[in-house]
Amino acid sequence: MAAGKPADAWRSKLQGFDLQQHLIYIGFLAIFLFFAVVLHDDGFLTTRNLTNIILQTAPATVMAIGLVYVLSAGEIDISFGSTVAVSALAAAVALQSMPLVVGVAAGLGAGLLIGAFNGALVAGLRLPSFLVTLATLGLFAGVARTMTDLRSIAVINDAFTGFFGSGRLFGVPSLVWWTFGAVLVGHWIFRHTRFGAHILATGDNPGAARVAGVKVARVRFAALTICGGCAGLAGLLYAGRLQAAKYTLGETDLMIVIAAVIVGGTALNGGRGSIIGAFIGALLMGMLNNGLILMGLAVSDQMIVRGVIILAAVALSLRNTAR
Amino acid sequence: MNTKHSYGAAVVAAALLAAQPLALAETIGPGGEEATPSSTVRVADSDVITLRNGNYKAALLWHDQSDFVNAVTAGAKDEFARLGIEVVAETNAAFDAAKQRSDIETSLARNPDIILALPLDPVTSAAAFKEALADDVKLVFLSNLPSDYRHPRDYAAIVTDDLFQMGKQAADALASAIGGAGEVGWIFHDATYYVTNQRDNAFKTTIENDYPNIDVTAEAGISDPARAEEIANAMLLKNPDLDGIYVTWAGPAEGVLAALRANGNTSTKIVTLDLSEPIALDMMNDGNVAAIVADEAYELGRAMAAAGARDLLGQDTPPFVVAPAITVDKGNIARNWRISLNRPAPDSVLNAR
Repeated sequence: MAAGKPADAWRSKLQGFDLQQHLIYIGFLAIFLFFAVVLHDDGFLTTRNLTNIILQTAPATVMAIGLVYVLSAGEIDISFGSTVAVSALAAAVALQSMPLVVGVAAGLGAGLLIGAFNGALVAGLRLPSFLVTLATLGLFAGVARTMTDLRSIAVINDAFTGFFGSGRLFGVPSLVWWTFGAVLVGHWIFRHTRFGAHILATGDNPGAARVAGVKVARVRFAALTICGGCAGLAGLLYAGRLQAAKYTLGETDLMIVIAAVIVGGTALNGGRGSIIGAFIGALLMGMLNNGLILMGLAVSDQMIVRGVIILAAVALSLRNTAR
Repeated sequence: MNTKHSYGAAVVAAALLAAQPLALAETIGPGGEEATPSSTVRVADSDVITLRNGNYKAALLWHDQSDFVNAVTAGAKDEFARLGIEVVAETNAAFDAAKQRSDIETSLARNPDIILALPLDPVTSAAAFKEALADDVKLVFLSNLPSDYRHPRDYAAIVTDDLFQMGKQAADALASAIGGAGEVGWIFHDATYYVTNQRDNAFKTTIENDYPNIDVTAEAGISDPARAEEIANAMLLKNPDLDGIYVTWAGPAEGVLAALRANGNTSTKIVTLDLSEPIALDMMNDGNVAAIVADEAYELGRAMAAAGARDLLGQDTPPFVVAPAITVDKGNIARNWRISLNRPAPDSVLNAR
């Protein structure tokens, strides 16, 4: 029957729709709608507030992108919080007496070097990435504290703070550009290059990847270096946004970023990852923080509700992984 | 020390410390301002109607969660409730400067008229609070000040403890416990922290100036509270006849107490700052602890709320406000614990009487 064809087509599409795979997007939308309804008179839907959520999550989004590469390659990096602090401080110290380019190079370079250091230990010496980065987490936290003797360093370079923090291009805040730029580049490399495929192959089955000609050690080294580079960029974004750098920057981001990445559909044990999912995951974390504050909940209640929601999201995501 | 508070308070450090010598006779503000007692910062009953009709809102943007913060929050909320000002947001930055900035931005979506906050760091907080300034929000700071902020242009008041009095009262309590004569040890915080430095030096200055028969014969700096026990052991080894020891805050005082107990020493008296259950329990059981000096956290919160409300009304607010210090001893612990933290002392402490 002719009338049945569109219905059949829809039914077929619905049957082909993988609900689990899109859970993060559905969850994000559901929570967004909940806050939009509950907080419609409390400023949640204002452009300023929604923009703030993106600005506030920009460094976490960039860190999450790096972590997707590492986790997808079957490794983990828990040192990126310290890398963020070292990079931000390196940039801030350099900018005190040197031009913008040197400051940016110092910050990004510090991140890449730390990432390469982790990568060399993991790929070169075949040490477990968890233990390596657990050690370097402490090592570089100490370095960050030593660099400026626990002092905060003001960033007074207007070009830098504009470029990485408070500036705008075509009316759009620079942090929004950085966020979308990093997501697009990260996604393109991850999904549309041979290197991205090698990352997934390495994380899925390193033995098979090696047989297929993938240089597994090189891929692991690159993944950890990229993660360090992303942490370096996150450090620059923090330094630009706060117009200062401090040894504590990035310290509290570890759990939030891991949660964002896992909720976004990246497997903890490698072989599967999503840059877009990690971005939505980071936004979800920022939106939760934002909405629960605007609801006027006491701090302890915010922590409980946030914990329950993240637990539910992670449980659903990992249930998907198990299948 | 209530370390969580003192961290925040202490990070005034660089900015405040640079502005003043350490050995002062009273607590002074970052720009050398005279301290105004918190009891004088009040909103008159006649102004309450005006405030209630204004439908004003406030946000409490704290640095962390602790007994101290809870008591400050309670003081602020009670005063805001009296004034008909709604508290629309409450946050905890967990000592993260980036989170504090996000908290400020987020809370501004609720259009608060007053923000009470402890700026985590003079440098990072300077940019963080700019957006609130641009929105003409009345800012009241707890114990810390963002760099280059000026009173009354940028903020209504800084409210903090009477740091000198805390150290002085600790000296008076220890002197009283050892009969006004003898040898004492001074365990100070070995870091450039505004809060602890002022308190520690006030203790020493008071002993040296007011108690000629007491000698500070042993001094030891401490930067890691976990090392308090070994530092105390070393001090006792060299000075076995110490009559008393001042310890910079309650955390390391617990280590010093452990050292005295391990040495079977029941005669050396301890005086320390900030409330702690184990320290209070020892005092109640007639152990080594003679007294504890605490701050009035609830009063700090009340005074902050009152300062913000006065600024809303266009009334003058003093730039630097201090809440009193209180000495807690065996006789007054039930009352003074409640005054300090706005909650009863733990049952273990009360039942030990």
